[in-house]
Amino acid sequence: MALISVSHLKKYYRVYKKEPGLSGSLKSLFHRKYEDVKAVNNVSFDIKEGELVGFIGPNGAGKTTTLKVLSGLLYPTSGKVSVLGFIPFDRQPQFQKQFSLVMGQKNQLWWDLPALDSFLLNKEIYEIPTQQFNQTLAELVKMLDLGEVLKVQVRKLSLGQRMKCELVAALLHLPKVLFLDEPTIGLDVVMQQKIRDFIKGYNQKYKATIILTSHYMDDVKELCSRVIIIDKGKIFFDGKLDAIIKKYADHKILELVFSGPVTKSDFSVIPAAKIKDFDLPRVTFSVPRDSANEVAAKLLTKFPVADLNITEPSIEDIIREVFTGRDMS
Amino acid sequence: MWQVRTVLSFLTIYFFWFAVFTQYNQIGTYTRTTMFAYLLVAAFLRNLVLWSDSYHACVEIANGDLNNYLLKPLSYFGNWLARDWADKILNLLFFVPELALLIIIFRIPLVFPTSLWVWAWFIVLAILGSLLYFLFSFLVSSFSFWYPEHDGWPLRFFMLMFLDFLSGAAFPLDIFPQPVTTLFKFLPTSYFIYFPTQVYLGRLSFSDQLSGLVIMLFWLLVFFYLVKIVWHKGLQIYGAYGR
Repeated sequence: MALISVSHLKKYYRVYKKEPGLSGSLKSLFHRKYEDVKAVNNVSFDIKEGELVGFIGPNGAGKTTTLKVLSGLLYPTSGKVSVLGFIPFDRQPQFQKQFSLVMGQKNQLWWDLPALDSFLLNKEIYEIPTQQFNQTLAELVKMLDLGEVLKVQVRKLSLGQRMKCELVAALLHLPKVLFLDEPTIGLDVVMQQKIRDFIKGYNQKYKATIILTSHYMDDVKELCSRVIIIDKGKIFFDGKLDAIIKKYADHKILELVFSGPVTKSDFSVIPAAKIKDFDLPRVTFSVPRDSANEVAAKLLTKFPVADLNITEPSIEDIIREVFTGRDMS
Repeated sequence: MWQVRTVLSFLTIYFFWFAVFTQYNQIGTYTRTTMFAYLLVAAFLRNLVLWSDSYHACVEIANGDLNNYLLKPLSYFGNWLARDWADKILNLLFFVPELALLIIIFRIPLVFPTSLWVWAWFIVLAILGSLLYFLFSFLVSSFSFWYPEHDGWPLRFFMLMFLDFLSGAAFPLDIFPQPVTTLFKFLPTSYFIYFPTQVYLGRLSFSDQLSGLVIMLFWLLVFFYLVKIVWHKGLQIYGAYGR
């Protein structure tokens, strides 16, 4: 039984377009051109209990919109959504006590109060028993190394500290389902790693089901065995991360270091080897997967090669190339 | 500054009527004493009933802060009602001493209800009036669902200007000719200030009080359902912006 189930979800926004300038503003008072923006267009997926799923895609792909629909903030234009057996938009308290949405760019903490006050407010809102609250708080504070900052006004905290506090505020009621929207945005590498470790720990310890969106491939690579790639409101990949390489990477990367002089035109004798990067003595080729070995052998025999390396293209490259619609080889 | 504004607006009204009563002995059915008694009670109600922080709801809709409330097991409506009353009480804590000071300075005569029964009745009506205004204000805030480009202030400002006139905050509504007074009786706005004040001053017959209460309850019900419907519709098109 899927814990989260989305079938044929569509969410269209109605936006109006205004011509620039004053005359455009005046015109828009009388006549507005409306257009539908298809933020999410026929998306379906199921997520099982305890899964940690990465949601990736370029800006405006529909990731956040999907999470907002799953959280009950947005009313779906059409399609069926169910989370923990509830319809999110009904916003039943029994449902709301079991999930959390954390947005990296939006805060729920009271800006002028210390984080601890916001936590206490959440304790009342979520009706968390005092003993459980104290225990969970102590545990989260320890996991995130937050001891000192709880009594400091939130506005005085650094971005990293604030993000950690946001996470605590969202997790005090120990949600079974967690939606993380860019939790590591704007954080430095060390802090990103800490947040990542924490998310992984929370997932394992509480068997929580987590959907994570991120621009940082490292987040997804490290945390999620399953990814859903979404672009222009549509899913075009849903599966294991490794499978993306098999499905989309029809080429391999040959990296050669030459020990003698070569020119670009020398390589025209091997048409299958496309030059990706030419920076002597290092030259990188992109070669169709099937002929990689054959091309490598030819290069070795025809040119003075000091070093040869055959690698898979990086996931970042594949995804970037898929999104920009470029030929990958 | 807002606090200065409330005192100033009372003074403006006071001096206007002060000037009028140097020329006339009576306006409509109001003598100088009853008029000033009316203005005092109206000023008090203006700071209780029409004092509402809930206009911020439209800001929260427009900038997406509403998200934080919608995600939690929390009634947004109930939350605002509580914040509203906290704000009203805070405001009265400031305004009542200020008003007392003005009464002493200008030696405004005080009029009190004739019985405890009228006191109780007045308090109930003031609370109902506050509730009515709260629903009304919430309805105006919902405008932001459809026009989130601005924070809802233009409409709010427009509304406040008319309310000073229509609610009876600046003058009693029964100084107008009979047909206009009758029209006011059926408008929801006169129940914010005018109606409770009349009850306080004991100027209404029993049947007028009863019919007034019925009309007031009718409007409460109408606004309650309007708010419910409009919010349901509004949330369906809510964009959850702010990202």
